[in-house]
Amino acid sequence: MLRDMSFLEKTAWTMSAVLIATGAFWAWEVAGNWTALGKAPPPSFKLAIVYVGFVVLGAIITQAALAIASPKEANASADERERRVLDKAGNWSGYVLGFGAAAGILHYYAQRDGDQLFQIVTASFIVSQIAEYLFQIVLLRRGV
Amino acid sequence: MAKPPPITNRIRDLREEHDSMSQAALADAIGVTRQTVIAIEQGKYSPSLESAFRIARVFGLGVEDVFYWDARTGRR
Repeated sequence: MLRDMSFLEKTAWTMSAVLIATGAFWAWEVAGNWTALGKAPPPSFKLAIVYVGFVVLGAIITQAALAIASPKEANASADERERRVLDKAGNWSGYVLGFGAAAGILHYYAQRDGDQLFQIVTASFIVSQIAEYLFQIVLLRRGV
Repeated sequence: MAKPPPITNRIRDLREEHDSMSQAALADAIGVTRQTVIAIEQGKYSPSLESAFRIARVFGLGVEDVFYWDARTGRR
């Protein structure tokens, strides 16, 4: 199974797992604070640092493990099919981010709550990044 | 499943005719990943014109000896 995957697909699987796990941590923290405050929590610099730290650490560990397992593939640049996959997945994930940001702005017009807007846009960033890797997996397997 | 591209090929047969050339060897020869060769063989991906020429040259053939327009899936 793993042998049949290109390095890009292995990267997409591991990064989507890292982002889902760290995204769940972020959502758990925000939901907890939301419940405690009874309203959307304000932007937390500490949470942002911890979240980004987990993402970077997870990415370094998984990418290092993949590179050690397949050093030749790790050093190769993306080929023409993979570049098309990356372009298309990036394009589609942009729509996910745009939809989330637009939904947040519309929500702001109704609620006038900047903290909610911040949390919705941050969630959209996280979801769009997860979506980008999942789109890559779909396109690599289905065909581009 | 995405709609298959309207181009088919006989790369698998040609590999067999060339001392059972592996997909990895062909991939190295044309500068793509083995998974891209698999996708081309399975009709999931139409290679660029440059890669099509590179593949044909590996087998010492012209592009049209390797790739065909499939009238069933092609629009014209």
